Amino acid sequence: MSSKYTEHNVTAEQIMLVVLVGVSALFIVEPVLSNYPDDARVFPQLTASIVFVGSLLLLFRNYLPGPLRTFVAESISITSTDESDIPGSEADLEESETADEEYEAETLGAEYGYKVDETTFMVVTTILYFAGGWAAGFLFATPIYILGYTLWFRTSPVTSVLLAILGTFVIYLFMTYLVLPFDQGHIFDFSPLLPLLVEPITGGGV
Amino acid sequence: MLDALSEAISIILTGEPLLWLTVGILIGIFVGSLPGIGASLGMALILPLTLPLDGVNAIILLVSIYSGGMYGGSIAAILLNAPGTSAAAATTLDGYPLSRQGQAITALAMSAVASTLGGFITIVLLILISPFLVRMVLLFGSPQYFLIALLGIAMIAIVARGSLIRGVVSGMFGLLIATIGMAPMVPQQRFTFGDPALFDGISFVAALIGLFAIAEMINLAGEEGGVAQTDMEITGSIRSGISSVLTKPYLIAKSSLIGMGIGSVPGAGSTVSTFVSYAEALRSSDDPDSFGAGNHEGLIAAESANNATIPGSLIPTFSFGIPGSGSTAVLLGGLIMHGLQPGPNLFSSDLQITYAVFIALFLGNFVILFVGLTFISRMGVLTKIDTDIIIPMIVVLAVVGGFLLRINWIDVLTVFGLGIIGYYMKRYNYSVIAFVLGIVLGPIAEENFARSLTLSDGSLMIFVNDPLSLIIVIAIVALTIGPAIRGVFKKQLG
Repeated sequence: MSSKYTEHNVTAEQIMLVVLVGVSALFIVEPVLSNYPDDARVFPQLTASIVFVGSLLLLFRNYLPGPLRTFVAESISITSTDESDIPGSEADLEESETADEEYEAETLGAEYGYKVDETTFMVVTTILYFAGGWAAGFLFATPIYILGYTLWFRTSPVTSVLLAILGTFVIYLFMTYLVLPFDQGHIFDFSPLLPLLVEPITGGGV
Repeated sequence: MLDALSEAISIILTGEPLLWLTVGILIGIFVGSLPGIGASLGMALILPLTLPLDGVNAIILLVSIYSGGMYGGSIAAILLNAPGTSAAAATTLDGYPLSRQGQAITALAMSAVASTLGGFITIVLLILISPFLVRMVLLFGSPQYFLIALLGIAMIAIVARGSLIRGVVSGMFGLLIATIGMAPMVPQQRFTFGDPALFDGISFVAALIGLFAIAEMINLAGEEGGVAQTDMEITGSIRSGISSVLTKPYLIAKSSLIGMGIGSVPGAGSTVSTFVSYAEALRSSDDPDSFGAGNHEGLIAAESANNATIPGSLIPTFSFGIPGSGSTAVLLGGLIMHGLQPGPNLFSSDLQITYAVFIALFLGNFVILFVGLTFISRMGVLTKIDTDIIIPMIVVLAVVGGFLLRINWIDVLTVFGLGIIGYYMKRYNYSVIAFVLGIVLGPIAEENFARSLTLSDGSLMIFVNDPLSLIIVIAIVALTIGPAIRGVFKKQLG
């Protein structure tokens, strides 16, 4: 059974453009709703209007009339270096970069039959690291993040542990000498546990 | 000028700047030699750590990382065919074939000497032309500074490959983000929604860390992890590398001037300059067929243009606050963070600081030469570090750097949030540099915009009613509309 509708996949670019449209709309409306004075209002509204119109044009570029679509969608460059004569020029490098994107790393997940895209894994773990650090303190989230990340990519366990210790030490160093509250989370407070963990190493010196 | 120069020399001779320039060059060579890392990322991570430093030392450290990073990029390019920075892409063309022919040491020596000479020539030239820059910069007032910020964004949007609209949207979104917090001319909090964490606005340093560290790491995560796939035997002769460079003074001078000239165009940067220099060397060579197969001239042309781009890129950065690349965007962030406003002051009351930076760059080339020639046979070690090890460590350093700025969780959120947005912008060909420029220049652009309107009682005619402003406006219109019209005409003519 054929369908008259073409299948459309929502891309990350479209999501990003929707976010830009939403943010710019907010920056246009908020000064009006909150009665900003002219000196505080004109510049953000002007720039927001350009972002709003530009993002909408990009979002709906496939539905624009010919010349406008060309203007919106096509790449324009004033650099006229003809690299086509140069052996192995940047164009070739870009091709090889594309090839790199298809690379699949040996991961812990793959060993158990789970295929997770490396970039997705990186984005998700980065978000989890931030969320974990905010909730429970970066001092405690850092070793878990480093161990999790490196072990996933099949780094040797010894190297992973050494890196986790090094990363935690960096956080601890900044926390101690610059009095940054990396041991305190906004939801969980494990800071009372810190002396129990540190004293056996420092002998109660720090 | 001579007074400022002698004051700059005495600043350098105090010793501390020499220490920071050496540290900077070494950090730069390290980060530059790691494929996918590069100078801008290293500079962004170091930037918050420069807070306790004196402004001159901080800028010398940053500019030395930039310079070292440019040279460092060539190491992986020559040994692995994987340029550490995009600027070193042209170096792979003849550098890697030389390595495969057993001349890795020769190629690395050529790279060190050519980079150093390119840097020397152009820094001396930069000091010589600085009096003319001063006169030019002093012609600019508030309306022109606002317009030059727009011109910078327009140039970067166009020079970067991709659609013009994408570049403009990126730049304007950067300007938009920069408006969060206190308005520059009136005591009005904007877009903070009552959250005190946003009262001081979005930190551009946190934005730089996010866009250069987190975004790059996400990008790198999707690429091949183990960098060194082959065990390249590092052989060759330092002496023949040096003599090969020294016998081609005309090529070095020509490539250096190309590097400096193109480097001074915002957005063009070293990636373009090295390829143009390489193409010119190929065009004027007696043996063009050997290019791409280990021709010494090809490597020398790319490498001397590479480091020569740095002084060129400092011209728009220091004069108008328009960075030509990611590294100069971070450098601009450093200048502003340490209270050094780009523009007339850097060429009048603060001229000794500007000259101190130039002299540090000049001396930094000696460090590059020394490190390049002394540790040449051990350079391969740097390229063997697995990116899966580097990525989590850089993420951790980004968190520390972000939080250190103002002890504000918004900065850590900015690092992660803009890092993820920056990754997708890069992936879909939105100019990250234009975005960065918007964020860094936002407050300056808005202040000059508001001041201009105050001067003109709200009339926008102030932006076109004097010849200099009019020229800049015409340049902006020509840059943004011109290529599009040309494209449409080309299509219609078949």
